Amino acid sequence: MMCEEAMIDRDDYAKRVRKERKNRIMIEINFDKISSSIDSNHEEDITRDLKYLSTTHFELPPNSKPGEFLDQVWDHPNAPKPIEMAHGTTTLAFVFNGGVIVAVDSKSTQGSYVASRTVKKVIEITPNLLGTMAGGAADCSFWERELGRRCRLYELRNKELISVAAASKILANIVYSYKGYGLSMGTMITGWDKTGPCLYYVDNDGTRLKGQRFSVGSGSTYAYGVLDSGYKPDLTDQEAQELGRRAVYHATHRDAMSGGFINVYHVKETGWVKISSDDCFKLYQKYYNVKPINDNNNNA
Amino acid sequence: MENLNRGGFTFDLCKRNDLIEKTGLKMKGFLKTGTTIVGVVYKDGVVLGADTRATEGPIVADKNCEKIHYIADNIYCCGAGTAADTENTTNLISSKLKLHQLATGKQPRVITALTMLKQMLFKYQGHVSAALILGGVDVIGGVVTPSLFTIHPHGSTDQLPYVTMGSGSLAAMAIFEAFYKKDMTKLEAMTLVADAIKSGIFNDLGSGSNVDVTVISQEGVEIHRGYEKPNERKYRSNPYNFKKGTAPVLSTSTLEPLGSRIIIEDVTMEG
Amino acid sequence: MMMDDLKLTALPEKEVPISHHRFEPYVDNGGTVLAVAGSNYCIVAGDTRMSDGGYGIQTRHYTKVFKLTDKCVIATSGMQADTIALRKRLDTQLRQYERDHGKSMSTPAIAQFLSNTLYHKRFFPFYTFNLVAGVDEDGIGCVWTYDAVGSHERVRFSSQGSGNQLIQPLLDNQVGKFNQQIVDGPRELSAEQALSLVKDAITSAGERDIYTGDFADIVTIDQKGVHFEKFDLKLD
Repeated sequence: MMCEEAMIDRDDYAKRVRKERKNRIMIEINFDKISSSIDSNHEEDITRDLKYLSTTHFELPPNSKPGEFLDQVWDHPNAPKPIEMAHGTTTLAFVFNGGVIVAVDSKSTQGSYVASRTVKKVIEITPNLLGTMAGGAADCSFWERELGRRCRLYELRNKELISVAAASKILANIVYSYKGYGLSMGTMITGWDKTGPCLYYVDNDGTRLKGQRFSVGSGSTYAYGVLDSGYKPDLTDQEAQELGRRAVYHATHRDAMSGGFINVYHVKETGWVKISSDDCFKLYQKYYNVKPINDNNNNA
Repeated sequence: MENLNRGGFTFDLCKRNDLIEKTGLKMKGFLKTGTTIVGVVYKDGVVLGADTRATEGPIVADKNCEKIHYIADNIYCCGAGTAADTENTTNLISSKLKLHQLATGKQPRVITALTMLKQMLFKYQGHVSAALILGGVDVIGGVVTPSLFTIHPHGSTDQLPYVTMGSGSLAAMAIFEAFYKKDMTKLEAMTLVADAIKSGIFNDLGSGSNVDVTVISQEGVEIHRGYEKPNERKYRSNPYNFKKGTAPVLSTSTLEPLGSRIIIEDVTMEG
Repeated sequence: MMMDDLKLTALPEKEVPISHHRFEPYVDNGGTVLAVAGSNYCIVAGDTRMSDGGYGIQTRHYTKVFKLTDKCVIATSGMQADTIALRKRLDTQLRQYERDHGKSMSTPAIAQFLSNTLYHKRFFPFYTFNLVAGVDEDGIGCVWTYDAVGSHERVRFSSQGSGNQLIQPLLDNQVGKFNQQIVDGPRELSAEQALSLVKDAITSAGERDIYTGDFADIVTIDQKGVHFEKFDLKLD
């Protein structure tokens, strides 16, 4: 008797669940219906676009944790030469009365190999937002490009500029969702929104901090030394730009992983402006007044 | 200090180096002669052959190095493995053999060199990475006899009419197995050796550049350095020229040359 | 006494890691590629040796330079299997694009597209080191250089692969004219000079890098299209 009663209950339960499931499907978008209402060419386009726009689709290694996978592969006597990913190094940004100054170096290293000395480490996310690159170059440039896309969509949907707080939070949420996958980025998101000049630090742990001064990368300690000692909120625009340039320059002077050119950007109320791009060696000659004695050809 | 009197090698730094390597610092690789070396017995003696490439990892460190080493006037030795080990091992045995020759007043025998080499290599349990081909001509029981041996890094040896060693040994042995004959003439043997070495040069990335051949017979020794040169550079652009003043000069200073006169004074001991 | 003197200190035993079966997805098949761009040309070279990662040659005729469009090629060193997989992806997508839009994808667009393709395997990367080279919409020569996961930069010249560290300094000096106070002649190389330099560079890499050799594909790209040429390297 007991047994039969239980059976009936179970059947009832199953029926109820199936009904619920059916209801749930009802609120899902029926792609078949949508596609029948538009021409077939368009349908192909949409499905394809959906496929390629989806950035959440990453191929994962067939075993273990993604963050530890590559280390395991190289930890083997017959393993091939490890893949060295390009890394970036000294970046800084600070807020002052005239806006935000962003100053970066341009050296990219793969292990001990200098992959490039002309990298653009300031990433122009939108005409009003700047991001910086430290850590994995591919990680920074890919995700800040993706951030640019999302900011643009936000602006089209809401008919107003996105706040720096919101933009940095989008990025922080993305990298947080990939925690443990081995992303490597230390970035600053800056811009000028309704609240005025604004600066956030976001890194691959998911840390997101609002602040007045940040410096990220292996040369950051050197840069902080110069930046903190020279900083005050009421710097003139020129003083502020020179402070950023000088701070990064002195970092490149002491940190082997930094160098190349020093790029300075200034975020103003009207958007960002690129101020300068100087060769480190030229700055060295300028700051320390060193000139070649056989400089008979005057090429600047 | 204790170790200094013992002779042989000191392994004091091995443990330290292992620890350093564990912290991630990679030790620079040794110069290796990833090599093809061969030897063959012919009618009147032996022919030794070697390629001339020395590598350091994937980089060619020396395009024309010598791998056929002198042991005695009637004995030569090809070396494969770590360049420093093969050179020093053959040098050491060469000088010991010379002392032996002076003591006994007799021509050194190949078997003596072989025994000295294998005893040394066995003693070091393979840590001296020398793989050798020893060839020579001497007199056994009043009969002039060519002899040819291989010696492996751990001290084992073989005696065979045709031998190959090094990373190109398989490629070279394929040629020997296909074309070796008994009682070849000198020219036949030299051609066969050169073909075997070329097989190694072209099919093994550890071997390359030129063919060196050394012939040892009762008439004496013929050393053919660069017997064949099948790998000359095929293209060269116009020379790269730089005008004077291309490099920035930051400062100049003049160094006085060292004085040519040296004054030697005797210091008299006092007291 | 004598024996005592010769007694040696024992070599400390190395700790041998316990080897258990593990996943080894990569092999480096070696090879070198390089590219130089001018204002109206682009020259690419890649050797055709494919090694087994050790001392063996698997083939002497493996072409590393692949035509993507009439204005663009990709040159890839690294692992052959990953190279083929990557090429296949690019090729199908580019064909799809051409069918949809009635024109082939521009070279700068291909450059960004390759970056995205590489980054989509960020957590299980292709073991490939790429150059994209060609001419852009205005016929100006261009080169993009990549790391394995898609970090890329537009440059005037670059090299990738096993001979990279031999070739890049030569290009820095001869094409980039880095750190030179006086530069003899015009700052940009003519197409003929660049061709000669590229041939010399790959020949030199073949002299000193054991994974570079056999033959080279020299590819010239300009407004007229992509032109392949075979070039002899050393076989040892």
